[in-house]
Amino acid sequence: MSENYEPNIVAFLCNWCSYAGADLAGTSRVQYPANIQVIRVMCSGRVNPLYVMNALQQGADGVLVSGCHPGDCHYMEGNFYARRRLGMLKDLMEFVGVDPRRFHMSWVSASEGNKWKEVVEKTVEDAREAGPFEGFRRRQIDW
Amino acid sequence: MTEKPKIGVYVCHCGINISATVDVETVADYALKLPNVEVARTYSYMCSDPGQVLIKKDIKEHGLNRVIVASCSPRMHEPTFRKAIQEAGLNPYYLEMANIREQCSWVHQNIDEGTAKSKKLVAASVAKVRLLEALESKEVDAEPSALVIGAGIAGIQAALDIADAGFKVYLVEKTPSVGGRMAQLDKTFPTLDCSACILTPKMVDCASHPNIELLSYSEVEEIGGYIGNFEVKVRKKARYVDFDKCTGCGDCATECRVKDRFPSEFDQGMGKRSAIYLPFPQAVPAKYTIDPEDCLFLSKGKCGKAPKCAEACRPGAINFDQVDEIVEFKVGAVIVATGFDPFDASRKPEYGYSDYPNVITGMEMERLVSASGPTGGKLKIFTGEGEIEPKEVAFIKCVGSRDESVGNVYCSRVCCMYVAKQAHLLRDKLPDANIRVYYMDVRAFGKGFEEFYDRVRRENVRYIRGNPSEIFKRGDKLVVKVEDTLTATPLEDEVDLVVLGVGLEPRDDMRQTMELLRLSQSPDRFFLEAHPKLRPVDTATEGVFLAGCCQGPKDIPDTVAQAKGAASSAMIPLARGKVMISAQVATVDESTCRGCGFCVNICPYKAIELVTVNRYGHEIEVARVNEALCKGCGSCSAGCLSDSIQPKSFRDRQILPQIAALGVLK
Amino acid sequence: MDLEQLRKTAAEVVARDDVKYLIGWKKGSYGSRVAPAFVEDAASVIELIFSPSCTANLATYLTLVEKTPLPRGQETDKRKVALMAKGCDSRAVVQLLVEKGIHREDVIVIGCPCPGMIDQSLLAGKYGDTEERSEVRWNGKDFTLVRGGDEIEIPRNDVLAEKCRLCRHPNPVISDYLIGEAVKEWDPAEDSGVGELEAKDVDGRGDYWEGQFSRCVRCYSCRNVCPLCYCQDCILDRLNPTWINRAVNFSENTAFNISRAFHLAGRCIECGECERVCPANIPLGKINRKMAREVREKYGFEPGLDPDAEPFQASFKPDDPEDFIL
Repeated sequence: MSENYEPNIVAFLCNWCSYAGADLAGTSRVQYPANIQVIRVMCSGRVNPLYVMNALQQGADGVLVSGCHPGDCHYMEGNFYARRRLGMLKDLMEFVGVDPRRFHMSWVSASEGNKWKEVVEKTVEDAREAGPFEGFRRRQIDW
Repeated sequence: MTEKPKIGVYVCHCGINISATVDVETVADYALKLPNVEVARTYSYMCSDPGQVLIKKDIKEHGLNRVIVASCSPRMHEPTFRKAIQEAGLNPYYLEMANIREQCSWVHQNIDEGTAKSKKLVAASVAKVRLLEALESKEVDAEPSALVIGAGIAGIQAALDIADAGFKVYLVEKTPSVGGRMAQLDKTFPTLDCSACILTPKMVDCASHPNIELLSYSEVEEIGGYIGNFEVKVRKKARYVDFDKCTGCGDCATECRVKDRFPSEFDQGMGKRSAIYLPFPQAVPAKYTIDPEDCLFLSKGKCGKAPKCAEACRPGAINFDQVDEIVEFKVGAVIVATGFDPFDASRKPEYGYSDYPNVITGMEMERLVSASGPTGGKLKIFTGEGEIEPKEVAFIKCVGSRDESVGNVYCSRVCCMYVAKQAHLLRDKLPDANIRVYYMDVRAFGKGFEEFYDRVRRENVRYIRGNPSEIFKRGDKLVVKVEDTLTATPLEDEVDLVVLGVGLEPRDDMRQTMELLRLSQSPDRFFLEAHPKLRPVDTATEGVFLAGCCQGPKDIPDTVAQAKGAASSAMIPLARGKVMISAQVATVDESTCRGCGFCVNICPYKAIELVTVNRYGHEIEVARVNEALCKGCGSCSAGCLSDSIQPKSFRDRQILPQIAALGVLK
Repeated sequence: MDLEQLRKTAAEVVARDDVKYLIGWKKGSYGSRVAPAFVEDAASVIELIFSPSCTANLATYLTLVEKTPLPRGQETDKRKVALMAKGCDSRAVVQLLVEKGIHREDVIVIGCPCPGMIDQSLLAGKYGDTEERSEVRWNGKDFTLVRGGDEIEIPRNDVLAEKCRLCRHPNPVISDYLIGEAVKEWDPAEDSGVGELEAKDVDGRGDYWEGQFSRCVRCYSCRNVCPLCYCQDCILDRLNPTWINRAVNFSENTAFNISRAFHLAGRCIECGECERVCPANIPLGKINRKMAREVREKYGFEPGLDPDAEPFQASFKPDDPEDFIL
């Protein structure tokens, strides 16, 4: 593991709870590691589980998916689908040898700015411990 | 194929909000080197008029066809910039925002880190914006009517305003009468208006208004649909009294075999009512209701030889066979005005509310001092031994508010003033009593509040700074154990009556309302507004608005103001008669859809159906989206194995390059 | 297996006007191998067989038929297709019904209770792979290899296919005609293949699969043979967006295999065809069985049993496991 390794985290956040919660962390000037970059989607249910695989393949060292708490989904059920799909993906990835510390899922509501900070810290810390992702990373990535 | 993307990138300083921890010039220089970027600029406030003009000018002069604004959260200003680029002739959906304020400059102190992250976020936006598609918003008709849930002062005011503007209003109230908490109050601070005197006319108005359909003793069971077209299902609970025949004479209650046996909800349990009852004399509608649990005939199947109420009722309104009725209707907007619950004082056992009858809550005090209350306004206190007129009275403030031990960190905003008001009313009735108020702080922030507080203190009401730790009994007195924190003196204060200034809490049934309308809670557990400052009456669900204490504790004028605000917001779609439906809906590629129906199963809005189409002579089934019903969540898409259904603006082919861009730039 | 009954039933079925053809097995061209038979008339039913060599899953042919464009005015052939189906094949049929890949009224299932199939590679390894025509038969407990007049007893576990050792549903779960009697179910063996991998640490598993996926030639046989991979246009073939690059290397191969396995989670009926046809001998069954077990044990769902079930990937339970959520 390199000395100055800073993990690169891609996060998928639902617009209504987790993205709003991350915004609230900002308005409250909560400080957290800058390793995380957010892709906004309307609902955690939008997150195709293969995005997680794709993010690792395309240069992420860790991936986070965050949505509304169960029962609070703006679209009623999207987070339940996300939970089932991503739970299965996590099992699959772990079985084919992807360190489980590279992928996390969380529920962060629009009012949980501080929880967002904790989730980011945990995700970054875990990815840091897991080290740079070599695995099945693409050698050449362009967009 | 569409024209080649020409992107303009606009990096906002946001004063120093962004530029203090993000080197915006470096970000702009970097952006200029990214593919398809024609222009990259910084400006102090992109959202300001000159900022927007800058973008519009570039669109015209440089022929830009895509715009990226790197500034605050898209939840804040996406509509602003969409409108701006539309005014310059671009499709409003050719915009992408990079959130470098809430999710970057404000959360990272190190300027190198902030700048590096901003670059990545801008790059990801460039990756996506190139692939965005032009979308057209569609308009659908809006139902010119509104639903108001809860008929306290907030709901009543909102309903009246909307009805006065000429729209139909369905006002749904859970209890048998409108009026809510305000009807229970005696006087209102700081003006000492009689609460009933100012409220009753409004109650009557909302029952008689030709545009208001009052559904009292009713509960909303289901709300489907979307702004402009909500489909509402309401359960009208059986009153067991024919609404049209009942004249409200009250003979039934007088004759009821279990007359005055049950605690009156309206009198906080201090007064009694019969099994058939009118909640309070001024109740609207003035129609009696039988409580099925209290009524002998309904609960036990037998009431003497025959129910006496039915015998007493001359119009023959009693109908034990009545059943709940389901009413369905459509509305264009919904106002939630479900109110609050007073804090349950038994959750502070050290104050002995459950043990001593002469420890009462502020709400009970309202009923005690009210001329229409259970004692006719006389201050008779039962101490456990006998009835006395109290000589020594203590008020305790902040009971259940500003108190982490009960999970309520917030200030309830009304207790300071209602305690001052009650102290004043007591002073009127008991000129010789010693009245003191134990307080942590006095927050007399409103119009006329400080003046009123001054006046009460001049009326020989002592304010003692200290938060009592315990109340216990000594002889026939209650002892308030407290430290006067201004003089650091421990006190054991002997009193006859303790009034707990209980705070306001979210209703215990608010979960139901949340689920009905997909609302969220703020950390204080009240309903969350769309924006704490700029959209205080809106919710995250379009077409659903908040009024009154369900959104947070507030006094009557604030409640009325918010109700009027909610009413005017709700009237926007009603008055236009049209609502825009989101352009960001799911769309199906019928040439690849395999018709498995996973998306049909997944869609919570039943917006997708399978239709039979002809593909090269073969009849096959494919999914089709009803755009008016689709909310664009995209859950269908993540469940589609052939990727055939995709939400516009959040397609796989728009998101995957975003992922790549974030990964490439380590 | 009562071949008489099979052929009689088949003749009856294919003689119907509303039946296009019957998909079953016939003798193959060499060794004890068999080949799929598409029987269109009663006269041809004589070639139908059912033997321990009928390992393959014919349900894949239900969706494999290419729907070529029809000339204007020509009607599409709406006749039913009949299918010989073992336990695992019948589960594929049920899962196709769940996913509307076929409609119940379009298929006639000739259920064939299955005492267990052989793995041709095991047979060849132990008893040689000769061109000479031979036949494998069930003899009650074990198998008998009939070759050149010799009858060789083969202990069941020597050549039994892995999917059969682990099988929980040897009898058809759906059928319109049942040939012979239901077989007595056996206790599925412990899935040591999956278990051994689970016993490794995550890096150990990573190394194992790196060794496997690196050998993948991306021929897509696993996908093409799978009865449940029946999209018109597989996302892994697409260019816009490009999920998987064309390059054959460890990165893309892994992404391909993860994607394929994920798409089958909660859908795979464990017929083992992907692994059987893999020219690189990648043990794909281990991944599929691992996921099937997770779905069964954690979510209480087993695909391909109930045609009225909600598709696993398109449903949820409020109390689905969430111990992995932060």
